[in-house]
Amino acid sequence: MNVTTVLDAKGLACPMPIVRTKKAVDAIESGQVLEVHVTDKGAIADIPAWAASGGHTILEHTEEDDVLKFWIQKA
Amino acid sequence: MTNKVAIIASNGGLFDAYKVYNIATAAAATDKEVTIFFTFEGLNLIHKQGMQALPMPEGREAIAEGFAKANVPSIPELAAMSQELGVKFIACQMTMDVMGLTVEDFVDGIEVGGAVTFLEFAKDAAPTLTF
Repeated sequence: MNVTTVLDAKGLACPMPIVRTKKAVDAIESGQVLEVHVTDKGAIADIPAWAASGGHTILEHTEEDDVLKFWIQKA
Repeated sequence: MTNKVAIIASNGGLFDAYKVYNIATAAAATDKEVTIFFTFEGLNLIHKQGMQALPMPEGREAIAEGFAKANVPSIPELAAMSQELGVKFIACQMTMDVMGLTVEDFVDGIEVGGAVTFLEFAKDAAPTLTF
């Protein structure tokens, strides 16, 4: 996958992962991909909900050693 | 579908502040137009000094440690972030008069208004939330 930006939001509590994700997506172009790393369990539901709200696509989602990773393609 | 979220902040405790600012920042980060109307004790949430040390509910002081451990941002940080994301703050004129407060007592960038100012914004907002 061609990732444009990687955002490390590990250790941050709600609502910071969403705020940081928004800013990172604002900074990339339509069609580009943001890779987000978070440890906030709320993000499992929040990041897909946030992406759906803006029409962005979650290409992939993984969970390893308490780190959640999302690949978001900007609408 | 409306793109507005209207929030009434009428309580001044630490938990109240987190409820208000977490929802406000999350909504603003989801590209909603957000306005918070601060009234009565809710004015503590934008008061320059008051917001630095908002009270915990009695008997729940131990939770302070939980806040630190969870790496939750402070209330002044969340307030600043809300404004940076475009959240509009309206302080209730009537409550300010009753409590002897002026715009100088509050963080920069707020508006002062009455109930109608808020209602005008909230008339087509969904949801409108009260804390």
